[in-house]
Order: sequence, then C-alpha cells, then structure tokens
Amino acid sequence: MTPSRLLSLPRKPRCSWAIPAAGRALVASFPRSLCVVFCALICFSFSAAVRGDDLTAGFDAANKLYDGGKFAEAVAAYQNLAGSGQGSAALYFNLGNALFKSGEVGRAIAAYRCAERIAPRDPDVQANLQFARSQVQGPSLAPGRWQRWLSALTIDEWTFLTAAALWTLFGLLILLQWRPALKAALRNYVVTGALAALLLCACLGCALAEAAPARLAVVIARDVSVRSGPLDEAKSVFTVQDGAEVRVLDQKDDWIQVAADPSRIGWLRRTQVVLQ
Amino acid sequence: MFGPWLKNVVPGRGHGKPWLAAPFAAAFLWLTLSLAGAATFTASLDRDVVPVGESVALSLTFTGTSSQSAPSLPPIENLQIDYVGPSSQYSFENGKVNSSITHNFSVTPRRPGEFTIPAFTVTLEGQKLTSQPLTLKAIQAAAPSADAINSGSQLAFLRLLLPKKEFYVGECVAAELDVYEHSRVRNLDQFRLTAFPADGFSLGKMVEAQDHQAQVGNAVYRVIPLRFPLRAIKTGSFTAGPVTATAVVSIPSANRRRDPFDPFGMLGGGMEQKQLTLASDTETLQVLPLPRENVPADFNGAIGSYTLAISAGPTNVTVGDPITVRIQISGHGDLDSLTLPEQPAWHDFKTYPPTAKVQAADPLGLQGTKTFEQIVVPQNADIRQIPPVSFSYFDSDAKSYRTLTQPAVPLTVRPAGSVAMPMVLGQNRSGQDNAPPARDLIPNKQRLGGLVRLGPPLVRQSWFLALQGVPLLAFVSALAWRKRTEMLANNPRLRRQRRVAQVLRDGLIQLRQLADANKSDAFFATLFRLLQEQLGERLDLPASAITEAVIDEHLRPRAVPESTLAPLRELFQVCNLARYAPIKTRQELAAVIPKFETVLRELQNLKV
Repeated sequence: MTPSRLLSLPRKPRCSWAIPAAGRALVASFPRSLCVVFCALICFSFSAAVRGDDLTAGFDAANKLYDGGKFAEAVAAYQNLAGSGQGSAALYFNLGNALFKSGEVGRAIAAYRCAERIAPRDPDVQANLQFARSQVQGPSLAPGRWQRWLSALTIDEWTFLTAAALWTLFGLLILLQWRPALKAALRNYVVTGALAALLLCACLGCALAEAAPARLAVVIARDVSVRSGPLDEAKSVFTVQDGAEVRVLDQKDDWIQVAADPSRIGWLRRTQVVLQ
Repeated sequence: MFGPWLKNVVPGRGHGKPWLAAPFAAAFLWLTLSLAGAATFTASLDRDVVPVGESVALSLTFTGTSSQSAPSLPPIENLQIDYVGPSSQYSFENGKVNSSITHNFSVTPRRPGEFTIPAFTVTLEGQKLTSQPLTLKAIQAAAPSADAINSGSQLAFLRLLLPKKEFYVGECVAAELDVYEHSRVRNLDQFRLTAFPADGFSLGKMVEAQDHQAQVGNAVYRVIPLRFPLRAIKTGSFTAGPVTATAVVSIPSANRRRDPFDPFGMLGGGMEQKQLTLASDTETLQVLPLPRENVPADFNGAIGSYTLAISAGPTNVTVGDPITVRIQISGHGDLDSLTLPEQPAWHDFKTYPPTAKVQAADPLGLQGTKTFEQIVVPQNADIRQIPPVSFSYFDSDAKSYRTLTQPAVPLTVRPAGSVAMPMVLGQNRSGQDNAPPARDLIPNKQRLGGLVRLGPPLVRQSWFLALQGVPLLAFVSALAWRKRTEMLANNPRLRRQRRVAQVLRDGLIQLRQLADANKSDAFFATLFRLLQEQLGERLDLPASAITEAVIDEHLRPRAVPESTLAPLRELFQVCNLARYAPIKTRQELAAVIPKFETVLRELQNLKV
C-alpha cells in the first residue's frame, strides 16, 4: 500500500463523522477494502445505537404512562416498541404488567411468555408469569417438568451449546487424524464428546419442536366455548377462560383445534387466542 | 344368508372347483332340512315367589330357530322388566340338529303383591305361537324379629341407622347401614343391595368403614358399617326401607366329617354355602320445608353448622393491583355444594371468579373446610378497606338461620404510580394473623436491557448452518490427508514416483537457471542426474545404476518405441559429449531443455 493509494481515498468518507480522530488514524493503517468494511461496521453500530436510543426513550415514556396509571396507553406504547423488530425481555415484561393491569390476563401471559423466551431464567418474569397463571380459572395446559427444563435455556443458547459440543468433537477427531498416537489417550474424551453432542442435538431438536410457531395458544377472551367442530353451530364441549393456555393441534380456515389436556379437545376461533 | 356363498360354490357359476361345491351344497341342504323342525315358544320364571326389590329371571325360549329377535314386553305397573340378552343353543340328537334361542329378562317387583305376566303371541316362520301366562308373587322382605336376632339364630342381618328422623329439605346427613355377620359365618360373599327404598331422599356413594365386633343377645357378630350421605330432596312424610340385600355365606357343615388332610378346615372342606336375603327395618321420616321467616338476604341454600374465617393480602397496594381474599368455611354439612354468596359491598373492586378447595375431614365429605380464594382488584385510591364478608346458613339443629360476618380488612390503596409504602398487613378481629400476602406482580423494569432482533433463531439461519460445515470439512480433509499419508507409507514405488516428480520439477527450474547462467558443466551434470532419476523410477532401478546402456538392456526388450529411444539416446550422448566438448552458448543449452521435457513426457507415459 503506497501513500498515494491512501490519498486516493475520499477525504470525507460516508459516515466519517462517526469516526473519531483515533479511528481515522487506525483506518489509515488498513488496506482500502478493510477500511470500507470497518466504515460499514461503524455505520451499522452507530445506526443500531441510534435505534437503541430511540427504543430506550420510548421505553421510558411507556414506563411513565404505566406509572401514571394509564395502562391502556402504556400497552399501546410498549406494543409500538415491540413492533420495531427489536425487543428485550424487559420490554415484554413491562408489556405483560400493563396488560395485566388492564385486565387482559391472556394477553399478559402471552407477553410474559415472549419475555420468558428471551430471558428464560429471569426470576421476575417467572414470578409474574406464575402469578398471572394463578389467576386463570378452568382448564389450562400446564407445562410439564421436561418442558420447563428445556425452556431453562433459549433456543440460541441450546444452539451454541450444541455447536460447541460438535466443534469440540470434530476438533478431537481432527487431532486424532493428525496425531494417531493420541488415540488411546483421547478415546474417553471422544466418546464423552460424541455422547454430549448427541444429547445436546436431541435437546435442541426438542426445544425447537416446543418453540415451533403456532404450537401453543393463549386464550384472550372470557368464557370461550370450545366447540366440537369448526362451526358456530357445533356443540360446546367445554369452556376456557381468559389466560388459558392450550396446545394447537390443527387449523382450518378461521378456526383452530386445541387441547387443554388429553381429554379436552375442541375448536375455537382464531380471534379468541394469541398464537405463540 | 347363504346366497352369496352358494354363488361361488355352485358348479358352473363361480370360480371354485366344481367337485368341491357338491359336498358343501349337500351339507347346506341337510342343515336346512334338519333345522326345519316344528317351532315352539315357551316363557318361564326361575322362581315364582320373590322378596320386593329382588330380581327373578324371565326366559322366553324359541326352539327350532336361532334367529328370532327379542319380543317387546308390555309394561306392567310396579314391575320393572329389563332385557339382559339372548343365548343360543345347538344340539345333535339322532342326526337331527336342534336349535333354540332364549331371550333373558330381569324382572324386579317394586311392591308386594301378585303380578301376572301375560301370554305373548309371536310369529315364527309363518306360525303364530303363544306362551302361557306367568304369575309372580312379590312378598315384603321383613327384618328378623328381635327375638330371632337375640337368640343368635340369624346368620346375618341389616340395620339402618339414621342420625335423626326429622330433616329439612336440602339437608344432607351421614347415614349408616350395618351388615351384621354371625361369628359362625366363615365368609360372606356376593353381597348385593337389591333395594333401598327411600322416596324423598337421594343417596350418595357408599363407603365401607372399619368393621368391629358386637355382642347381640347371646351371639357375637362382626359389624360391617356402610356409610353414605343422605340428602332430603322434597318435603313430606316418607318411609325409608326396608333395605334388602342378598348374600352368600359359608358356614361349617353340621354333619361334616373330619378330613385327614385338612383337620382344621383350612382348605375349605366341610363348608356349607347358603344364599340369604337380608332386610332392615323401616324408618318413617319427616322432611320439613325451610322456614320462610327471617331468611337472610344472602342465604344461598347452605344447611349445616359452620364457622367463617377470612384473610386477605397484600393490604398495601396500588390501584389495579390484585388482592387475594381467602374465605374459609368450616363445619359439617354438604361442603361440595357450598357456594360463596354474592358480596354486594365489593362494588369498588373488580372481582374474578373464586376458586374453591375442599379439605374433607371424613370420607363422605360432610365435615371439613372449604376454602374460597377470590381475587379482587381495587379500582380507586379512595378504598380504605375490604368490606365485611358475610355468610348465611340454616342451622338444622337450632332450626334457625344464622349469619356469620367477618369484619372489614383495612387496606392501603395508593394511586397508580406512587411510591410503594412499607407493607402493613391487616388483621381480623379474632386476632389471627393474616395469611402470607398473596404474591403480587413484580413492578416494571426500568432498564430496557439487551436488545435482541426478533427473527428466526440462529439454528434456522443459513449462514450459521453453513458455518457448522467448517469442522466437518476440516475433519474430512484431515481424514483424507491421513489416508494419503498412510498410502504413501505403504507404497515405496508411489513414494519414489512422487519424489522423482518433485525432483524433476525442481530440476527443470534449475536447468533453466543454469542455461541462463551459461554454466554448461553444471547444466549437463544436472540433466544427466534427472535422466537417471526418471529412468531409475520407471525401471525400478537405483538411479546411480542408470547409464546409456539401459536403453538396450532394459528399454528395448520392453518394446519401447524407437521414437522414444532415439531422443533419449541423443540426450545421453550430448551429456557424455559435453564432458569433453562443452557447449558454450546459452541458446544451445536452452535448446536442450524442450528435448528433455519431450523425453520426460514420453518416459512418464511408458507402461513399463
């Protein structure tokens, strides 16, 4: 890289206002292609930071609405933030609180579940989710022990663990190819690594299956009659209350088939639930 | 019914073999003729005299057919007739097939008296057949007399124990039916209640309690108590009983012989079985309506004797926060049917449907505690208390209504958004501490926290999946590298071939450099060495052993074409000549290299 090539760079590159003097000095020592990548990264980070600042301001404003007892307005504000494509456990947690205070237990449970997916080990989220669930009357699907265990980690955490196990396993296998003499010494590690990778793959598969879209639904209306067929004229089989969690078995037109437990299966309108 | 089957076996009409069809057709003809006997129809009862409430079996038998459907019997007042099912019989007698079908009914008289089951007329294969009328006498099963019981002559008997004779409609009490079993009875089996007349009452599920011994007269009896809830459902004077039951008892045979193999009767030898019909006394009961005076406004039908306790928490809340009010009603009565009365004073609260849990202290569920948990949400900051909770019931012992009231629970309700005050739990007047405050919502988070992009998880993103291919590819590469290394280690010829190829590549570069530098001696020495390496590898000979003589000694016998040998010989001769008359010019040296490369290619293509 010659000085003349460096001089050929635009004197004020795009987003150069985002690069401090020390950064520009650093840029000067990189090849041009690396400079372009660096600038792009800086721009991306800055725009993300701007978006983050906007979200934080909106979040604070929504919190003020909540503290002022304007729960419906707070719900709208939180939902507006959640619709931006980015979110956080705190955002969904506060949305759940605002919905609960507005008397919408079902939607609150749905929001807490979103927060739980982002931060499954957050004790506040767990506490409020349990509290909201305790207010629900009638049949509702209770998560089993295995499901609770799987949901202790997010899907991405399960993915990282599984990938780490696979990389470690392949690393050991590559080492064995490179140094066959280590075969005896590494055998136990390889077997353990293979078992761990297998187990984690299975866990990841189960976690993915559990978190599959439209697998669970939360009822958001009161005294919903679950019918024997996807028709308004069908006989009412049982009734579920606002906040009841049900497993989705099938969908047909505007109706979904749900199960509150293995013996309670029926159809209800899609507008009466929030699909998870 | 055999039509379709015959269609396939009759010769000339089906696909089967004709010689197989003949015996089947004959058998069918024989069966049809055999069955075509004279049909009869009979009706019979297994007994003519039966206690009220006990069932007898009515059998309607059709002989000469096996496909007669069950006739419908006319309704007879106070006689319950239930269809049990059919049974068919086939028998061969003197080469003739006899068939019959019997339709069985269960007939149960509901009051004493004589009943006549009329004659039935049925049409069977074109014939009209009529059964004979039957007479059934129903007698009232009576409890044994006190003298009979005290003398110890009764093997078993029943006693109906009711806690009271006067009830109020809706009242539920625990009643008991005791089965007394004489000490002589070794086993009481097949106990079945046949009737439990109790008009004006409904019976709950029976529960068997712990049995005990009792002395009655001169005999010792084992008493098996059967307890059940009895609820008065309509007003009036009613008769309960006699409760009747049947049982089979085993008693030692009076004239048994001592079995040498079972001297103590442990194996059941010498036992005699008897079927008994048991009956209890009759009780006359009065069911009174609930008084219409002084009915509390919140009375909702509870009858019994109860106490009321209430607790609530948390009591320091913000508007919109839920409060759990726990209401416990303890005492005796029908706990399952207890409901929480409407509390009109709770109009400042938003309420949710209460949950209820019964902790019964007895197996019938008539004594214990029912706990209601009601979630209430204060709607404004002016609320200072949870209003008093009241519950009214009718005390059947005192024959009056009672209203239980628990005092208001003090509340601190803050406007939404205010700072939380230290929590002070309210206390009721009885001095009991409130239950631990119901868990409340944990307040909002003030920090947005780490943002995540709401999209598909990593595992569903193609770049991440592609990245996971890296270790796999690395492993495959390492595996291939290792296999190649092992292959070379086990194949010295191949190893030499690869080494020579490398030597030739380096040598050609060196030749060009030597030609450029016009170093003739070094050039031809290198050229000769490269020829030796290549020929040595092709002929599997040591390189040092290669001279021009190998052309005639090894290559020519192997039918190497002259077009290859001639330039090779020329190169050898140039190398030899250069030792004595070195080529001086750079161009001459450079001109040798293409010839050498041509020879190398031809040698490498040789199949030696």
